[in-house]
Amino acid sequence: MKYIKHTPTRKDIKIWVSLFLLIVIIPLFVAIYSEGKNQVFLITSIIIIGFFILNLILRKSLSLKKYYTHPFNLLTSKVCYEKTYDIPKKLMFEKIIEVLNYSEFELVETNKDRFEILAITKISLKSWGENIYIDLDANENETIMKFCSVTIFQIYDWGKSEKNYNDLCEQIESSLTI
Amino acid sequence: MAIIVNLDVMLAKRKMMLKELSEKVGVSTVNLSILKQGKVKAVRFSTLDAICSVLDCQPGDILEHTKD
Repeated sequence: MKYIKHTPTRKDIKIWVSLFLLIVIIPLFVAIYSEGKNQVFLITSIIIIGFFILNLILRKSLSLKKYYTHPFNLLTSKVCYEKTYDIPKKLMFEKIIEVLNYSEFELVETNKDRFEILAITKISLKSWGENIYIDLDANENETIMKFCSVTIFQIYDWGKSEKNYNDLCEQIESSLTI
Repeated sequence: MAIIVNLDVMLAKRKMMLKELSEKVGVSTVNLSILKQGKVKAVRFSTLDAICSVLDCQPGDILEHTKD
């Protein structure tokens, strides 16, 4: 089993510092303005922010795919597509990894045995970043690419998932011109 | 109408591995494997030129047209 692990960059550290400040500052403001009267609101806000940060931390693991893509997970928006390529599965797996490495997506983890890939998008004004799960299935000489784009802690994706799918397909198509 | 890619034949004739060709041409092994299987959408003249230069052959030695 081969894994590509995510190593934190300088930008990641900046994001974590910002989130840490967020989790400290927001409850602090709530505590100051509520003057200790509204403890329920304070606890609720801490739980929500804590859960949000936990989601952001756990998203970079392929093993939690079921949690994020589960239909009962109402805190995420899931969009899935399928596309068939007439390229063998093993080759297609390597091709997608190559494409992801040269794209705006960030390759986080791969599982060579199960032909699974996890990539993420960057945080933008429209979203907290999406998790992109790619599964490959073989059908004779063809490969079925199962693409699933999941938002994190966001119930509406503002069309970002569809854009991610279109971008990836476009990049795969253009990479087939060598 | 079909285009058959005879890259594997030329590689065998030149006793060269795909990885070696990939390093000399500057195209990834994945892309050359896909080309070898005839699954690419298009081949750039620059890529064809590089492959022919390394394998010391003509484009016709690599690509062949057949009627279905």
